[in-house]
Order: sequence, then structure tokens, then C-alpha cells
Amino acid sequence: MQKLYVHPLPVRIWHWTNALGFVMLILSGLQIRYSDAVQLMSFASAVQMHNVLGGVLILNYFVWLLFYLFTDKIRVYHPELNPAKHFRGSLRQLWYYGYGIFKGQPNPHHVSVYRKFNPLQSMTYQIVMILLVPIQFYTGVLLWDVNRFAASIQLFGGVRVVDTVHVVLFIFFIGFIFIHPYLASLGHTNLAHFKAMVTGYEEVEDEPGPKQPR
Amino acid sequence: MTTVTRRILTAAAAATALSLVSIFSGAVRAADAPRPAPSAEDQICLSCHGQEGMSKTFGKNDSVSLHVDGQAFAGSVHGPLGCAACHTEVDLANHPGAGKSFDSARAFSIAKAGVCSPCHEDKAKLFEGSVHAGVLRTGNLAAPVCTDCHGAHAVVRKAPVANDVACRKCHGAIFDAYLQSPHGKAYGKPGPVKAPICADCHRAHDVSPASSGTGLRDACLGCHTGAVEAHQKWLPNTKLHLQVVSCPACHAPTSQKSVDLRLYDPVAKRDVTAKDEQTRLDGPTVANGGKALDSKALWDLMRGVDRAGAPGRMTLVGRLEVRSGAEAHQLTDKSKAIRDCVVCHRKGADPFKNVTISIVGPDGRPIRYEAKQDVLHGPTSVESLSGFYAIGGTRIGILDVVLALVLLAGVSVPVAHLVLRRLLRKKQAAEQHAGSEGE
Repeated sequence: MQKLYVHPLPVRIWHWTNALGFVMLILSGLQIRYSDAVQLMSFASAVQMHNVLGGVLILNYFVWLLFYLFTDKIRVYHPELNPAKHFRGSLRQLWYYGYGIFKGQPNPHHVSVYRKFNPLQSMTYQIVMILLVPIQFYTGVLLWDVNRFAASIQLFGGVRVVDTVHVVLFIFFIGFIFIHPYLASLGHTNLAHFKAMVTGYEEVEDEPGPKQPR
Repeated sequence: MTTVTRRILTAAAAATALSLVSIFSGAVRAADAPRPAPSAEDQICLSCHGQEGMSKTFGKNDSVSLHVDGQAFAGSVHGPLGCAACHTEVDLANHPGAGKSFDSARAFSIAKAGVCSPCHEDKAKLFEGSVHAGVLRTGNLAAPVCTDCHGAHAVVRKAPVANDVACRKCHGAIFDAYLQSPHGKAYGKPGPVKAPICADCHRAHDVSPASSGTGLRDACLGCHTGAVEAHQKWLPNTKLHLQVVSCPACHAPTSQKSVDLRLYDPVAKRDVTAKDEQTRLDGPTVANGGKALDSKALWDLMRGVDRAGAPGRMTLVGRLEVRSGAEAHQLTDKSKAIRDCVVCHRKGADPFKNVTISIVGPDGRPIRYEAKQDVLHGPTSVESLSGFYAIGGTRIGILDVVLALVLLAGVSVPVAHLVLRRLLRKKQAAEQHAGSEGE
């Protein structure tokens, strides 16, 4: 096993802040939306917590964005520029999770410094981080002060439309928060990827040496 | 200059001179001042109209008193003007002539009250825009005119007691509720701030329908100047709450609440009136068998309104109100006001059980059409009710089902995947073990 430094410090800070923040946003969001069924905290506290955490995570988003925009690490999101190849790689990964893993087949993806995500991960994370998270933040900000952002809300189609988009994405992120840790447990040990996101170093199998001529 | 005008000016000058003399001399105290007596000209009128029981009959049990208390008239604000200033149509030579005929004593009184307008043009103009004038225009003669509040002959400039009585005639239940409120209890009592009575909030002449516009909220905030800041300390989206929740909804905590969805024209920036849309609103209501509108009917209605309402898209503006005027006046001390957000922000909250769709009627008051609760919770509400949403209280049911499925999948998919993986790995290990033993 060799260790590769794949998660730089800013990424790890962003990741764990985001993880903790999202869990708390989901809990406070559940309290706000389902106050008739959920009794974790008062409605007012939940609203306050939701607003503050939303602001913190928006700032945190820029840690991620600026880091990747201004370093060469952005390559981890598009190591393969050919969309067809990327898509095929994603299908291969999906096939592995849905079939190969049960047959004991090896993971088709091999981690390297600029290929830390498998194609499926890379595609999903780009959709999440470039599309879904910004929309969630944007709709959240609009709902935070409906009067101040009345014009934008009107442009969006009304407060109910904004809220529905926010809730649909909220439901998506609830699903994400369950599936993501499970997939992260599919390393060479259950905790390997978790440790890597703490230390920054991913343990990868040694590359087999060049075949000796017989 | 006409005789009447000259008489008015002379009387006004005399009254002014008398007032100035009284003020500067300081010798005559109001209480001791002799009561003004009717002028010689007015005495001619009073020789008949001063007799008790003089009346004009319009039909069975329908008459109007023609008796005038001469002393009261002389002491009124119009006393110096004299009878003829208002009764310009009277020609003593032919009085009482046939005159114009009226169907009822009330119609006669309303017509006679028209004489106020030429002098009190500004107030008359305000009144013309009021809900009371609107009600009159629709043929409902119960609405008050000048003389109902100010009196016909013993005219008072501003008399709270007279105003009370006037409003109370029609709005008795509301006035009784007001009397029990902190405003009613404090009215007329000494204190740092004068407690309001009807006209202070609803205005004296340009009385607008209680459920329209922002007049009443502004009236509350006009006196309770620190209220916005006080709410901002604990109430998120304060301005929005103050827009869409009527003050009594929280400050009359025992009141029954309801949601009114007012059809609004965002292009013209005004509520839709019966003249604009009534037939289109009546259509779906009738098509729905006269029952309350459900979410499908509302969706159809809004689509129809949008199509026909070109060029602008009509919207529904939601507002949380109390169900009756009397309940709106059951205000309590602010310490008892509702501060618990969950009263509204939860599924099944009372305010969202009563829903109406409304437009502005011909008299300015809303015409309400009953709607089912599901107009707030159905998936079509995203389009038909895009401008109104209350967290928790009006949440869309189908999204709750989607969330439940996602939670179920979020737990069961990883668990099932894990179990299946372990089982198959064990099986493979056993097969490999058996294979290696076979070798």
C-alpha cells in the first residue's frame, strides 16, 4: 500500500464543515417543515439555526470554489475530457456497484492524485456542486428575506415555486446524506475513505511492477 | 352674491366676532355663557317645525320627524348659518309644496343629507370613495350618510359619543367587542396616549372595507410606532408577516382565523373587481355544483383567468385574517398575543382550514367564494397559488410522500446492499474454500 495526498487541507476543511452543516441544516429543516411531528427544538430556534448555518455554508462554498478555481486540482473533476469516455466510465462504475461488487470483482477505478474521483463520482459531484447546491443556496437566501428579494422571487414564479424547489432539493440532499457515507465505506476497508478525508492521504494498492520477460 | 351666500357670510362673520370677543375678554366662561337663541328668520321656520311630533309620512309605519329643537340647532355649529343656508329649496310662499316624492323616509333623509356637500366638498369627496357610499350606490339605504353621524340639526363637529352611536347602529356586535378590548376600556380615560375609537382606525369619512388594503395595519402601526422593531426582535420575515397576517390574527388570540386568497392584477397593480372577473369566478363555482372550489377547479379557474386576463397574469394574493369583524375587535393585552409560530406553521393548523377566494364587490367589500383546504396543499397549487405559502401550514402533501420514500430508500438501499454484499462474499469464500479443498 502506498499513500497518496489527494485531499488538501482546504478541501478537508470545506468537506467536514459542509458535512456537519448539511446534517444540521437537514435537522433544522425537518423541524421547520414538520413542526407537527418533529420535536428536536423550538420552531424559532430551528429557523434561526437554519438561517445562520445557511450563511456559514454559503461562505464555505466559496472555500471549495476558490480552491478549485485557482489551483490545478480542478483537474480531479475532469480528468477525462471526452464526454463519451466519461459516460462509459460512469456506467462501468454503476455496473460495479450494482453487480461486480457482489461478485468480488475489483473496483474499476484506481485512485491517483488527479483521479481521486471515479467517473460516476466526478459527474455527480459536478452536478451537485455547480448546479444543485447553488440553487439550494439561492432559493434559501430568497426565502430568508422574502420581502427584500420580492423581485427575484417574482422572476422565479412566486414564493411557492421557490419553496417547492428548495424542498425538492432538501429531499435530494437527505437521500445524498444517506447514500454518500455508505459509498464512502466501500474502500479497501470500511473506514479507509473516512480516514483519508481526515488525514488527506488515501491508501492505494501498489502499482504492479513491469512484467519480467520470461 | 346670492341672498343665501350673503346670509352665510354675515352669520359666519358674526360668529367669528363673537368668538374673538369671548376669547380676548376672558370674562365669559363657557359654562356661564347664555345659550344662543334662534334668529328671527329661523323663528319663522320654528313656529311650525318647533312643534313636537311634526312628521312626514311615506307609508305605513314609515315616517320622518320634521321637528327641530330650536335651541339645539341654534347652539349647533350650523346655528349661525340659519335654516335657509341648507334648505335653499324652500320657498316660504309655497311651503310646504308638493316637492320631490320619495319612496321611504330613509330615501328622503339620504337625499336631504346631500345639502352638506356644497360646503363640505372635501369631506363629501372622501365619503364618495368610502365603503358606505359604495353600499349606498348598490341600493342598500342602510349605509350611513352625513346626518347619521353628525346629526341633522343639532350638528356637532366631532362628537365621539355620537360617532359611537352611529357606528353601533349597524356594527353593534363589533362595538360590544371593542368595548371589552384594551382600546375600549381605555377610551376616554386619562393616560399618556388617547385610546382609539371607530373613526381613529377606520377613518371618519373615507371608511374602507376592513379587509382591503393596508389601511388598518397602518392605523395600528400609526399609534404603536415601536411595533415593527419589537416584532423584528423575534419574528423572522417581519415585514412579510405584517403584510400577510392581519394584526388581530395574533392579537385577538381566541379569534377564528381563515385564509383569504384575493384575485390580484399585477399589471394594473390592484385587486380584481367584480366588474372584471365575476362571471369567470362564478363559472367554476357553478360548474363545481355550487360546492367549494377544490384544487383542480381553482387551477382551471386560474388558467381561465390567465388566458382571458391578458396581457397580465392574474395572481392570488393570500392573507391570513380573522373570520368576523367582531372577532377582529376582541383584542387583548399584548402579553396574551400569539407568539407561538407553530400555531400557524404546522400541518392542519386552524387558519388553513377555512379558505376563501375573493374579488372586490361593487360596494368595495369582498365577495368571497368558499374553497376547500386542498387548494393550499395540492400539487397544482405550485402554479395556481404561486404567491402564497406558509411553511408547514400549507405544505404540499405529495412532497411529504416523496420525502418518506427517500428516507426509506436512504436507509434500506445501503442496508440491503451491505447485507447482500456480505452474504454473497461469504458464499464466494465458501465456494473458494470448497474448491481449494477439492484440489
